[in-house]
Amino acid sequence: MFEQQLVNGFTLGLIYALIAVGYTMVYGVIELINFAHGEIYMLGAFLTLSCISMGLPLPLAVLLAMLATAAIGVLLDVVAYRPLREAPRLAALITAIGMSIFLQNLAMIIWGSRPLPFPRQALPAFFAEPALRFSEVTVTWMQIVIYVTALALMVGLNLVITKTRTGTAMRALAQNRTAAALMGINVNRVISFTFALGSGMGAVAGVMVSMYYNTMYPTMGYLAGVKAFAAAVLGGIGSVPGAMLGGVALGIAETLGAGYISSPYRDGVAYAVMILVIIFRPSGFLGRSMVEKA
Amino acid sequence: MRSRGIPRILAVAAALGLGLGLSAGSASAADTIKIAVPAAYTGSAAGYGENVKAGVSVKIDEINAAGGVNGKKIEAVYLDDQCEPREAATVSSSVVNDDSIVGIVGHLCSSAHLAALPAYVREGIPAITPTATSVAISGKNKDEKGKIWSFRNVYRDDFQGTFLADYIDKVLGLKKVAVFYENNDYGIGLKEAFGKEAKKLGLTVVGEEAYKKGDQDFTPQLTKLKAAAPQAMFIAGYYPEGALIADQAKKVGLVVPKFGADGFDNADYIKLGGAPTDDTYLTAPFLAEIASPDAKKFIEAFKAKFNREVDWMSANSYDAAGIMIEAIAKAGPDRAKIRDYLAGIDTPEKGYKGVTGVNYFNASGDCQKPAFVKMVKDGKFVPAPKQMN
Repeated sequence: MFEQQLVNGFTLGLIYALIAVGYTMVYGVIELINFAHGEIYMLGAFLTLSCISMGLPLPLAVLLAMLATAAIGVLLDVVAYRPLREAPRLAALITAIGMSIFLQNLAMIIWGSRPLPFPRQALPAFFAEPALRFSEVTVTWMQIVIYVTALALMVGLNLVITKTRTGTAMRALAQNRTAAALMGINVNRVISFTFALGSGMGAVAGVMVSMYYNTMYPTMGYLAGVKAFAAAVLGGIGSVPGAMLGGVALGIAETLGAGYISSPYRDGVAYAVMILVIIFRPSGFLGRSMVEKA
Repeated sequence: MRSRGIPRILAVAAALGLGLGLSAGSASAADTIKIAVPAAYTGSAAGYGENVKAGVSVKIDEINAAGGVNGKKIEAVYLDDQCEPREAATVSSSVVNDDSIVGIVGHLCSSAHLAALPAYVREGIPAITPTATSVAISGKNKDEKGKIWSFRNVYRDDFQGTFLADYIDKVLGLKKVAVFYENNDYGIGLKEAFGKEAKKLGLTVVGEEAYKKGDQDFTPQLTKLKAAAPQAMFIAGYYPEGALIADQAKKVGLVVPKFGADGFDNADYIKLGGAPTDDTYLTAPFLAEIASPDAKKFIEAFKAKFNREVDWMSANSYDAAGIMIEAIAKAGPDRAKIRDYLAGIDTPEKGYKGVTGVNYFNASGDCQKPAFVKMVKDGKFVPAPKQMN
């Protein structure tokens, strides 16, 4: 049973990790906690559903949903956050909460407030079948799809950040925005790129969750967003590998907490782990110890 | 960290204000008598809210088409509480402060009803809930003088929990059962009544786990329950999570008959959960297949208006609205007089004959009603082949 719980927790953790990188990248670049990111994740699931119901095959539907949510992420920044770039940070934070509520209610108007099932006929039938079985432990194909997709996306993301010019620009921006601008970096374009990248990853997480659990609803982004935010903090906000590590740690802590300690305190266990880590390592697993800017 | 309650309340209040304003324009206040119908119209429990609204609206259409009550039309004011206690508390204060509202049919969920109850009792406005089954309501519905302000025409959780334990043990002959409950008033109430009766019967509860509303991942708890090798699983909660639990139980290899209470009775349970929902048994106060002639008429009207099958919540809401309207007709549009009339319906002889049977209230405002058992078979709700009696 312990191994099975680990497998389940790892799956959940990878999904948290995918959402958490969206928080952490945006925070790294503009020091904003983008609370509307959970809603981007939710939109990823619903847009895929809409594409499928228009008759598109699953891979194309996911790709389109990713592009659309990336565009929504960029739009979110342009409309809601860019005008407040020089305003006090609290103003942008409150705007982010406002956008979160707005997007949630928009989804309720478009798709209704009742939970919808993920269309089963769009999924290959073998997805729910066990792929690997070691005595007591089963891993389904769906779980393997989640592992492969999540790990591939994260490796890809890391390559983008460390090897490309835009990635270098992102890191420069994270260090010092003014200096980066003076070096000729188009700040707004890099920020838009960051939002697009993070939103696309969030959308994939949303689709995979709705496939895995076979449901989606307009408020699903709230809890997932809070958990992923906690994962980002746990890993060290601003650090992409940290977000991945934080997500997996949180997922496993939560699952083991529910399995071995007490299921009513499931989330409590997850947050307690986060708090403990923060007490002893205030900047998270892999966070830089930050000097507060004046 | 992320406080989003207040702006949402404002948005809802604004939307409601708009709605009220529009409806007031169509008929002047003096010609209508208003009853409030607070339930979840958005959020994950919105499916139930639609059922309550559907049942109430059929009754109101019927009354108004026949000329209304003493020449006045009845108007329902639908208020959204999302089945959230904090939203319900806000809704309750707007209800008690609106003098044009004489009575309440609602709330839908027990936790919302409990949150709203103090305001109703303090300010004195009668409520009939067609769906809130928590035991705790019976202890909190009296004012200082011992007058009851909140009635219900649905059975309590202790009845449902006890009934299900009896059914599993005596009718199906299963002996080892796992309990998976939602960590709120409703789930805990059901679970406790079930556990008490199980102990009496010698039915073994081999595992007991909790989840919370809105959870999507139930695999840790199900994996643990599976290890206890139960013959049946009692899921004390509502259908959106129940459907996912059925699905994930199959994925972790826990394939046993599932049991639920009234919270599972929604067509969406099967739609969301798919094939793994087969072999689910649930209690229902109303079964369209074995209904009286009066009830058949209601079923026809309901189908004509909504183009779907009647569920028990719609039927119970139809009756709750019927009782409230009868009280208004007999006692006049006065909150205190309506309450006195309702409190007077205390024997089967004086009972209100509705589509769900005879409705009458005992000294704590609760009612006695039989329960039926439905089950999911080949993707459809059908009456269970074996009933309790």
